[in-house]
Parts: sequence; C-alpha cells; structure tokens
Amino acid sequence: MERLQIDALSFRYPDAERYTIENITLDLCCGEFVTLCGATGSGKTTLLRLLKPQLYVQGERSGSIRCDDRDITAVPPEQIGFVMQDPEHQLVTDKVWHELAFGLENLGVAQQEIARRIAETAAFFGIETWFERRVSELSGGQKQLLNLAAVMVMDPDVLVLDEPTAQLDPIAATSFLEMLRRLNRELSVTVIIAEHRLEELIPMSDRLLVMEDGRLTIDAPPTKAVQLLPADSPLLSYLPAPVRLYHAVHGTGACPMTVREGRDYIRQHRAIPLPIQPSSRSPHPRPALTLKDLCYRYRRDDSDAVHELSLTVYEGEIAAVVGGNGAGKSTALLLCAGLVRPYRGAVKVFDRRVSDYPAEQLYHGTLALLTQDVTSLFLMSSVRDELKGYRDGERMLPFDLSPLYDRHPYDLSGGEQQLVALAKVLASSPRLLLLDEPTKGLDASAKNRLSVLLKKLRNDGVTVVLVTHDVAFAAGCADRTAMLFRGGCVSVAPTREFFSTNSFYTTAAARMARGLLPNAVTVEDIASQLSTEEVRA
Amino acid sequence: MTAIGSSGLRARTRAGMRYLLPFVLIPALVALSVTVFGDRMYLAISFLIAALAVLLFLIGIEQKNLGARRMVLVAVMTALTVIGRFIPFFKPVTALTVIAALYLGAESGFLVGALSALLSNFYFGQGPWTPFQMLSWGLIGLVAGYLSRPLLRHRALLLMYGVLSGAVFSLIMDVWTVIWYSGSFSWGLYLAAAVSALPYTLLYAVSNLVFLLVLGRPFGEKLSRIKKKYGI
Amino acid sequence: MKRYRDYNPIAVAANMLAAALVAMFSMDPVILAVALTGGIIASLTCASMRKRDHLFALGLFVALVVINPIFSHNGATVLFIMNDSPVTLEATLYGVSAAMMLVSVLYWFRAFTAVMTSDRLLYLFSRLSPRVSLVLSMALRTVPMLRERWQKIEQAQRALGLYRDGNLIDRVRGILRIFSILVTWMLENGVITADSMDARCYGTHRRTSYALFEFGCSDAAVLGLSTGLAALTLWGLSGTDFQYYPTVSYTGSAVTIIGYIAYSGLCLLPGIIELWEGIRWNGYRSTR
Repeated sequence: MERLQIDALSFRYPDAERYTIENITLDLCCGEFVTLCGATGSGKTTLLRLLKPQLYVQGERSGSIRCDDRDITAVPPEQIGFVMQDPEHQLVTDKVWHELAFGLENLGVAQQEIARRIAETAAFFGIETWFERRVSELSGGQKQLLNLAAVMVMDPDVLVLDEPTAQLDPIAATSFLEMLRRLNRELSVTVIIAEHRLEELIPMSDRLLVMEDGRLTIDAPPTKAVQLLPADSPLLSYLPAPVRLYHAVHGTGACPMTVREGRDYIRQHRAIPLPIQPSSRSPHPRPALTLKDLCYRYRRDDSDAVHELSLTVYEGEIAAVVGGNGAGKSTALLLCAGLVRPYRGAVKVFDRRVSDYPAEQLYHGTLALLTQDVTSLFLMSSVRDELKGYRDGERMLPFDLSPLYDRHPYDLSGGEQQLVALAKVLASSPRLLLLDEPTKGLDASAKNRLSVLLKKLRNDGVTVVLVTHDVAFAAGCADRTAMLFRGGCVSVAPTREFFSTNSFYTTAAARMARGLLPNAVTVEDIASQLSTEEVRA
Repeated sequence: MTAIGSSGLRARTRAGMRYLLPFVLIPALVALSVTVFGDRMYLAISFLIAALAVLLFLIGIEQKNLGARRMVLVAVMTALTVIGRFIPFFKPVTALTVIAALYLGAESGFLVGALSALLSNFYFGQGPWTPFQMLSWGLIGLVAGYLSRPLLRHRALLLMYGVLSGAVFSLIMDVWTVIWYSGSFSWGLYLAAAVSALPYTLLYAVSNLVFLLVLGRPFGEKLSRIKKKYGI
Repeated sequence: MKRYRDYNPIAVAANMLAAALVAMFSMDPVILAVALTGGIIASLTCASMRKRDHLFALGLFVALVVINPIFSHNGATVLFIMNDSPVTLEATLYGVSAAMMLVSVLYWFRAFTAVMTSDRLLYLFSRLSPRVSLVLSMALRTVPMLRERWQKIEQAQRALGLYRDGNLIDRVRGILRIFSILVTWMLENGVITADSMDARCYGTHRRTSYALFEFGCSDAAVLGLSTGLAALTLWGLSGTDFQYYPTVSYTGSAVTIIGYIAYSGLCLLPGIIELWEGIRWNGYRSTR
C-alpha cells in the first residue's frame, strides 16, 4: 500500500532562475525504509521539507504530494515526523521530560494521556535514566536521540530525517541509526532519510534514491542502485568502501555491500600481493610541536581530561589525532594552542614553551587554530566584509572564494563556511595549523577538497595537526596518526602502519583487507592490488 | 465592510483595555491601600502592587498569539539579556530590552525586560525586589515598543531614551531601596539614596548610551535580516 | 518520604509567600520574631546556607538596629545623648522590629529560591500563563547554551589574535565582539528551533501543559492549611495596633492570641513537615 505519493513535483524558490526540484515522481510504501543521497545543493533538503507542510517553504510549486490518498496539507500534522541535522537547536525546552511532552502539549492532549505516552516512549528509547535532566547536560548523541523520541511520541506514520547524524560522532551515529532501524522494523514506521553516512544505512535500506541537480536519477534497491551509477559519477565517493572498491576495479557481477562481502570479493579477485611500501615520507627531524607529560583537568574534583600525554609532531607533516569521545582530543588541542594551561607538563611549539610566547607572536605567524564550529569566527554580514584584511589567507587556498563574496556567512554550506574560516585563520601565515574535527558535517566532496587543501599547505611548509573521529579521512590525508585513550597517547605510527595494525579502530577498507592484503588501508590501496585482468575477464 | 471595521475597532479597544487595565487598576490600588492602611506597610503594598502589575501585563500578553518564530526570538533575546548581565560593569540589559522592543514590538519588549529580570535573579538572587525589577525593565521595553517609530527614525531620540531609561530605572530602584531598608518612604531618605546611587545611575545611563551606540545599528541589521529570514 | 520541597509548588508557594507577606505587613514584634524563627528554620531545612550567609544576615540585623536610632529621634524616652542628639528607646525598638522584618523576609526568600527551582517556578507560571511559561522554559534552555558558546567563541577569537595588547579598551572591544558573534550565532540558529516547533505542531491546537507535579490530598491539605492559617492570622491581627512613637503602645484582645498561634503554625509548617516525615521515615526504617 502506498503511503506517500509524489507526482511530477517541481519547485522553485522565489527569484531563483532554475528549479531546485524538477519533476520528481516517487511512491513510498507503508513501512518502507528509503535512503536519499546526493551532493550538497542537489535539492535533498528542499524535497524533504516539502513533505512537511508546517515547515512552510516559500516558492513556486507544481505537481502533487499525497499521503494516504489525501493532499499533504490535509493530513493531520502529527502524522509526519521531521528530524533535522542540528541536535542542539532542535530542542525547544529546558528539561528532557518537557521536551518529550512538548509535541503532545501542542496537540492539546490531556495530562493523563501525555503521562502515558511519554512513559512509553521513554522506555522504548531507554531514556528513563536521564528523564529529569536538563537538556544542556546531554551529549550530542543523547540530544539527537531525544529529538527523535520527541517526534516519535506523537506517533507519526512517516518519519522524515534530514542528515540526522551529520553532527554526531561515529558511535552515537551508529546507535541513532540502530534506533531508526528498530522503529522501522518493530513499529513499521515509514522512513525517508537523507544522509551521507551510507556505510551503515545501505544494509538497512529497502531503496536508495539518488538526486542530482534537483532530479531523481536513480530509484532502486541498494544493490541495484549502486551498479546504476556511472563510473565517473562524483557521487561514487559518497558510497561505502566495498562499493567504491567495486567501482574502482570496474567490477561486474554482484556488488559487495558490506565489509564481509567486501572481504569475499577481495578473496576471489586477489592477485599475488605486491607489498605496499609503508610510509614513503620520512619524518622531518625537527619537531614542530612537543607535548611532554601533559596533565589537565577542568575542575579540581574531576579526573584528568588529559593525563600524562606525550607526543611529538615534526615539521612539515600532517599528524592526525584520533580517539573516542572523552579521550581528551579537543582538550589536548586547546593545550597545544595555549588557550588553557596544563597543571603539569609542558607544550613546546618550535622548541619554545607555548607560555613563553607573547600572544602577539604566538597567534601571528606561529600557530593558528580552526575550532570545531567555524561560525565562532564570523562577525560580518557578508563574506566580502568577513575577509577584509584577511586576503593573505585567501591567497593560500587553492580555491577561488570570490563567488561567495556577496553571501551572508550563515547562508553558506558547511564546506564553504570552512573555507572562509580557513582563509581567516591562515591570514596570520602560521607555521603550525591546528584543526578540531574539520570534517564534521561535511559531505564527501568537501572532505576531498579539504584533503587536497591540507596536503597543499603541508607542501608549502605548514605543519598540520588535526583531531578527528573520521578514520577514513585520517587514513587518506595524514602522514602519521596517534590514538588517544583516557587522556594519554596509546599509540602513534605512520598512518598506513597505524591503520593496518588496528583491528577495530580502523577504516572499513583496512577491515576488508586485513590479513589478505598487508598494509592496505584505503580503497585505492586495495584496488591497486586486485588483479584487474581477472575482474575484467 | 462596517462589520469588519467595527470588529477591528472592538479588537483594538480590547487591546487598549488590556494595557489600560494595569495603568488604571494599580493607581486605584495604591489609593485604596493608602486610605485603608494609612502610611504604613509600604513594603508589602509595593511588593504586592509590583507583582500584580507584572502579572496583569503577562496575562494581557498571554491573550496575544505569538507564532513560533516570534516566541523563539523573544526567548533568545531574553537569554541574551540574562547573559549580558554577567558582563562586568557595563550592563547591556536595558539596551537589549530596548532593541528587542524596537524590532519585535511592545509586548515582546515587555516580556524580554520582565523575564530576563526574573531569570537572571536565579543567578543574582531572588528577593522581594524581583517584581520591582521585572516591572521596571518590562515597562522600559513596553514604552520603547510604543515609541518604536520615532525612536527608529531619529538616532538621537533613541540615545536619549537610553540615557533616560537608565536614569529612570535607577531612580525607581532607589524608591525600592528606601522602602526596603527603612520600611517607610520619605523624600529626605529618597534624596540621600538617589545621591549615593548617583555613580550607578550614571554608569547605567552611560552603558545604555554606549551599548545603543555600538550595538544599536548592527543589532538592528541582524534582527532585520532574521525577521526577513524567518518571514515575520 | 515526601519532603517539604516535594509538595506541589502551588502549596509550597502559598505557604511561603503568605508567611513572608504577613511579616512584611506587620510591625508587631511577636509576629516578627515568629517570622524570623520560622524563616531561619525554613532556610536551614530547605536551602544549603553557608556560614557567610548567616554572618551577612547578622551584620545586616545589627546595622539596622544601630542605624535607626541614630537617624530617627522620635520617641519620648531618651536613653542617652550622642553628638547633641537624643537616642531614644522607641527608635531603638523600632529599629529592632524593622531589622527583624527585613532579615526574616530575606530568610524566607532564601528558602523560597532554594525550593522553587526553575521547573517549579515554570509550573506556577504555566497555571497562570502557559505561553509565558513556555518562553521562560525556552530562555532557560538557551542560557546555558549561550554560556558554553561564549567560551568557545572567546577561545576561537583569542587564537585569532584578539586581546593583542590586553589593555582595557581592547578588552571591552573584545567582549563586544564576542557578544556580537554570539548574538548572530543565536539568532541565525533560532530558525532551526522555530522550525522544530512548527514541525511538532506548535500553534495548531489549543495547548495543554504537562507537569511532573501532581496535586494530591496532602498537597491540598498544605494549601488549605496555609490559606486558612493566613486568613486566621489576618483576622486575629485586625484588631491590634502596635505604635512605637511617641511611646510604645499596644492595643490587643484575646483574638490576637489566635492570630499569633495561627501565624506560628503558618511559619513553622515547613519545619513541622520535615520533622514529621523524618520521624515517620525512621520508624519505617526500624520496622523493616
């Protein structure tokens, strides 16, 4: 039975020349789980917002959207749930229980009934233990789970999600998606989700939709959809590692979708491995950043956030620091930047203690920090004004920012915002660049662009330290990688060695190649070792 | 046509009544209490009257349907005002209330002023003075909202309003100080209190001036952009 | 074990505000002494008071007692002459009463603030004005977010070279800059909050408001007791007149005694409830 029917839908924003949505026809069945993917600006968000009439989108619309054989505007608003990207700002009230009750209060549900429904929902989502907490005390993952629960409490038939895990760390993202799968399986909620994190989503989806420039180009079950993508499509980089491998070797036959299938695929097509030479670059002998036995805690009664951390980063390398939540990565970065002081130990930047630098010299020409949320840097109402006085930084970027000049910094996409912020940060011509979670919320093409940019900076002589959850990004970009655990550094090695030694905390490609192809940590590594003749035959 | 006109008129009279009510009712209460209790019990009476006035205003605002977007803006401006009270020496509280009132309307101005007083006192200490502060800041916002057209057109007027409201706020709070510490009101004591609080009064007036001068225009631009973005 | 703070906020607020208001209305020393005792007990059982808070209250008390006779020379009984002006017994007594009133009100509000946490206050507001209560809740949610954000912005800006010289003008400019960035950030992201409200059907129906607080028999009892005792107090005190100047004079009747007893009940209610529940809890523990 069809739940949602979209027929010849087109949409254009006021004053826009081209259509954001062009002639989309789509049916969603009851209880279906559908994943929507596409590059930033392909019209995903607009399409999803049109499914929720209460989020009135101004513009010119043609075609129809029907839900349960009624026009979408005639459907009771609680029937369609909508979850957005930002975990923080979607929360309306100050307490967890109040947030759960909010939707039902809006519907005018009686007190007794509200009590029953939030009790049910809280139990299903496992949020009883933090039921009476303030929302400001929750972690990002908990916040987003609460957003989902606060929508589910209204008992919707259709759940529309717009990149709900983009701001979450991998563990929180996985548990969010698991919850989504449970809702779909156990309550047969129809789900349509736009997301970049396809590794986990593809195995649970019934259908994969691909949008390009406002058009729906592919609509098929995942195994078939990934084969329909042309070999030169930029969307390939959004796909899970096994699928990328399949495309990289121009595979035929069944496409591997999971790591397990990927391993089988490698086993079948393996040639005699040519051993990959580990770490071609030899580290520059001079240290750029030295951390020695650093200890730091936020409050006297807390335990150490950073505990006896020692690490050396050499000049002219890209060093990645990975680790789980609360491993002390971000705190370590603040210590390196001299923004907080360790209670024991020392930070040396270019052989001089960071506390010995006058602020003038430290932040001008020595080090620069790009914080996690780059909007902390934006003050002006246009990119042009924002970059005034920062032209030197702009010139260091291998991209042209001038098309963005007339836009408001907050109207840019995440990737564009980051470029503008980098231009500001690089203007002081730092020799050491520190980045905190630079790939958070970025799509695949923006990540590729960032990787190119960081490598260019390294070749220009800038030492780069980046803290990240994104192991695939670290594997593709860093020269050396260090892992933090409980505030200390537990391992540091050249990136290839690092990821091929780890068995859990590593890239999907390394997990596929483990034991089969030594030292392969990226899809490109694996592809170079598969016997392409055999595949083509 | 006439039906619409008369209903519009009725709505407007009702709206007028809502705001007239506190202004009529409260002086009446003051008169009554003075005749019944004589000149004693200033503290309790002033507390009750301030609390009642705030409540009446809030209930008046309750009748108005603010959309989600305006609600968010009022909440955000209130929170920003609370945060502003943490800035040492220069307090942007009054300036922010005035700005909120100018761009979001008189009711929102009252809400921002009154609620930020209530909320910030969770950090700075609640007491019988809370209704007083709520009323004073709320009224500053309300009046600024009613005068928004001239105040937005003439910058000098706006700055004058800022200085004046700073001074008036301080003078109203001095009334409270006198009642609070002496249990009664006398002009002599009031003068003494006002004189001793003069540096604070000046600081209030100056910081209002500075903040309206510095924040006024960029804030206005920001709020205008947001209003367009939100579609209010 | 239902402690005093666990009672329905309406009942608790009625009890505390009635006690404080009567104290504010009265200059009768008996009433004020009761109010002070009750206030101290209430704040000891409900609020976590530090030694310095009590010292502050004591200091204020002493200062008020001393200041009144220095400035006010009313009264017939001269105790001694200081700097050519008489210090009278009546003015001193008046000072004591005023100090008791002030300090007792301070204590009551201290206890009130401790018990009336933000969600209890929101509950009170939601009965009076649901929409204002929602705005309050949203603002309460925003404040900690802003404080956290302030710190982040400050770090980002410092790393960008703000506070270059570290003098006062630079610091003021820096604060204004952070504030301005904070405002933009908050306003721009507010759109998301508004969308989230719309997506969850805000404004489509007449709102109800849900609360974790229930109104049971014991709450009704405390509310009824508080209003009843307050009414009884006012009735009992209506005939009394306590004048300090020119000489201390007092007119009262037998009814006044009822007023005093009623007011004592009103003021000691928090302490009695805590004590009673404590005894019951101990009994329950020992029988287990």
